[in-house]
Amino acid sequence: MNSPSRTPLPRLQQYALIALLTLTALPHVLNIDFRISAFFLVLVGYRTLAVEKTALLPNRLLLFLITLGALGMVMMRYPILFGRDAGVALLIAMLALKLIEMRVRRDVHILVFIGYFMLATQFLYRDQIWLVGYAMVLVAALTAMLVESSRNAPSVSLFRSMGVSLLLLSQALPVMILLFIFFPRFSSPLWHLAADTDHAVIGVSGNISPGSISHLSRSSAVAFRVDFEGEIPPPEQRYWRGPVFWFTDGVNWRVDKDDDLAAAELISLGPTIAYNVTLEPTPGSWLYALELAVDIPGDSQLRSDYQLIRNTPIKQRIRYRVGSVIDYRSGALGMAERQKGLQLPPGITPRMLDLVTRWQQQSDSDAELVLKALDYFRQQEFYYTLYPPPLGENPPDQFLFDTRRGFCEHYATSFTLLMRIAGIPSRVVGGYQGGQINPLGKYLIVRQSDAHAWAEVWLRGKGWQRIDPTIAVAPERIEQSIDPTLISDVIGAPIRFIEVKGGVLGSALRQLRWGADAINASWHRWVLGYSKERQLYLMQLLGIGFMHGPKLAYGMVAITGLCVILLSLILLYRVRVKRDPVYAVYLSFCRRLQRRGIVRMAHEGPRDFASRVIAAHPELRNRVARITGLYIGIRYGQLDNKPNRRQFKRLVRRFNP
Amino acid sequence: MLRRSGADNHVIMNNILDRLVNEAGTIILGKELALRLALACLLARGHLLIEDLPGVGKTTLAHLLARLLGLNYQRIQFTSDLLPADIVGNTVYNREEGSFNFHPGPVFSQLVLADEINRATPKAQSALLEAMEEQQVTVDGTSYPLPKPFFVIATQNPAHQIGTFPLPESQLDRFLMRVELGYPDSRSERLLLTGHDRRDLLLGLEPCLNQEQLQALQNQVGEVHVSEAVLDYCQALLAFSRSSPRFHRGLSPRAGLALLRSAKAWALLSGRFQLLPEDIQAVLPATVGHRLHSTTDTGADEGATLARFLIESVPIP
Repeated sequence: MNSPSRTPLPRLQQYALIALLTLTALPHVLNIDFRISAFFLVLVGYRTLAVEKTALLPNRLLLFLITLGALGMVMMRYPILFGRDAGVALLIAMLALKLIEMRVRRDVHILVFIGYFMLATQFLYRDQIWLVGYAMVLVAALTAMLVESSRNAPSVSLFRSMGVSLLLLSQALPVMILLFIFFPRFSSPLWHLAADTDHAVIGVSGNISPGSISHLSRSSAVAFRVDFEGEIPPPEQRYWRGPVFWFTDGVNWRVDKDDDLAAAELISLGPTIAYNVTLEPTPGSWLYALELAVDIPGDSQLRSDYQLIRNTPIKQRIRYRVGSVIDYRSGALGMAERQKGLQLPPGITPRMLDLVTRWQQQSDSDAELVLKALDYFRQQEFYYTLYPPPLGENPPDQFLFDTRRGFCEHYATSFTLLMRIAGIPSRVVGGYQGGQINPLGKYLIVRQSDAHAWAEVWLRGKGWQRIDPTIAVAPERIEQSIDPTLISDVIGAPIRFIEVKGGVLGSALRQLRWGADAINASWHRWVLGYSKERQLYLMQLLGIGFMHGPKLAYGMVAITGLCVILLSLILLYRVRVKRDPVYAVYLSFCRRLQRRGIVRMAHEGPRDFASRVIAAHPELRNRVARITGLYIGIRYGQLDNKPNRRQFKRLVRRFNP
Repeated sequence: MLRRSGADNHVIMNNILDRLVNEAGTIILGKELALRLALACLLARGHLLIEDLPGVGKTTLAHLLARLLGLNYQRIQFTSDLLPADIVGNTVYNREEGSFNFHPGPVFSQLVLADEINRATPKAQSALLEAMEEQQVTVDGTSYPLPKPFFVIATQNPAHQIGTFPLPESQLDRFLMRVELGYPDSRSERLLLTGHDRRDLLLGLEPCLNQEQLQALQNQVGEVHVSEAVLDYCQALLAFSRSSPRFHRGLSPRAGLALLRSAKAWALLSGRFQLLPEDIQAVLPATVGHRLHSTTDTGADEGATLARFLIESVPIP
């Protein structure tokens, strides 16, 4: 009637379980439909009240009806019970119902395993390191509950069970590491889970229009992180090239999608800078690289306009190595390229033509004309702002002559337009500029707020040249990053840049932020970035490069098994060394008898065992009696001396029934 | 060959013990184990509790032991109106001498049979139990030593019978062993039914031992060699009883001492001067059965079941 698994739960354990399981499900609350989250929270709250007042617990019929209701609710929101969100919603609803049902010790086991599973599902949504820490703490606590529930009587403090739990988990750690290293990786994500995470991805896309980059600049999300193999180049050289925009209708600029020519030859005038980029998921396939990339990753191509494009979309965080040259000279201009670089939209106004004609009259060469144009931006009343006033039907014209307030894309596109009117082939380049150096990790963080656009003009004898008209307006943009937390949304307000704040608190806060990002970066680099390629590389380093795919899986099983066996042998040995050597010899005697089918039970005394053996095999009588007598004399009597021990050993060694 | 730590008088004692067991076996039929346990209990200077239904031979066993060992014998029938003075005796005024004289009660004999001890009130019970523990009786401020050897055999009806005062645990602990006699097997029962009256046979028995020999035997119990290995085993048993969830409470150190003492007596009774794990196993049910309680109350036969579980759970180191 009162079997151990049916004992009612102490209150403390009930509270602890409710709290822990709520915590396992809590990060999901924002992921799923709010009605199901609310259902969960209400039921949990009710169950907490019912700890003191057990009369509140519903009876079986009511519970059944609530279950039906919950199922209906999930089905209403997710009509086909399929996919990540539907599964998690169902799991959460069922967890709440199981909590209501929690009464006896057996329920602890079920609930703890639901908790483990719930924690695993958290990683279907995010993979940040804080979540790993969170999950680990909860796993330890849940395991402690499991330990506690297996005790005969509740322990005074749950922390005693926590100690056991931590010990158990630390013993499991080597196996965990082995499985991590050897579990075969896949190049595509398992179960296509990342497929429905697209909506959250932001970044530079294949289209820009006035306002698209300034919109991006309000986000402090990380775009990518860069580890340089050598020195980090100064900010004015850190132009991270992304898409190149050729075609415009006056408002939008877009890339040339049909161009699939390989990059033209490049004359490098300086050393190659090598670095590794950890790129967060982005909307396009551009791999960002310092201008201009020369050594490119294997699964990408360098187009004729030096866009570095990956063959597959970047739906997950990836890591790649690039080599770039800062000083370069591009080659000659092709006919098609010249044509694209001079394409003009409709709506060129007489004001624009007048401006360009005036410059042409004042300058002898294209290079001089470019300088004249930059002077124009510098000397006229242009302002650099994230909230430019709205532009009418002809944005370039209105921007150049009326509002004169804009962000980098306004300057880059209108500058390019003016150059084209002047007959200089030009294009707009999108990407990122600058980035912050994390002094703790010695790496560069480039955020969405560093998104930038600049222009490129083709000059005879020099090739494509980068011209950043934004420098003419706001030179500090290049030296510093925009601080997205200090953006004022007043139209036309000036931009605040990140400044080094004084004070102990400010510097401590900054250190903390850098530290957190450094931890995150190593987490991405060493754990999440452990891809199929890196695994192969590691296997090659270990000299077992031939192991991959199924072979690696078998290898993993073998190595883990070996590790477990080794550990158990060590434990066994530690138990064994304490044994009396005489007892060890006696055990060998018992093993010899085992071959005859007589197994000594662990609690069987030597005399009892001997009589059983003699009864079964009378022919062994003399030898068994002699060995047993000697053993008893040595171990239990007062005959423990060397000659006897030696004789005992000899007798057992010769005993081969 | 074995080199025996020789002592000739041991051999003589062995013969006596063998005879003792054989003689007893002719009267109490088919109860060799209970008989040997009772003898071991006596040799270990402990007191014995026999728990069983009426009519299975409890009194005969007590009588038999007294007869064979040459001890003087008194029986006290415990009833609900029994007073402590009925056990220990009382002081009576002697008019001729003009003084108070102590008239010793039935407890002043070498072997006392306390029949149906759980029928008396706790007050009367404790008078006997105090005498057992102290080996003396104190009346009106004067202490009177009890004879030596002093051996109590108490019998008890199973606890659930009506009109009983079950002995509390602390009192049960005073008994070195508790044995159950049980029904005889059919062959023994047939012999019993066809044979002579047991009481007549008893009267015809000659003592096998004199008191000096009995005391010498009791002293020899202490000489039985206890090796480290056996102590390890003994401690493993105690530790297991304390850690296993099957037992309500673990065995006390006193229970450990009792176990070891009984086992040594058992070894001596088997003619050995070295203690084996088997000796401990043999006396374990009788020695710890009344000291163990299960977490889940199984009622009858609990002690025996738990003792068997304990033996089978602890490997011999």
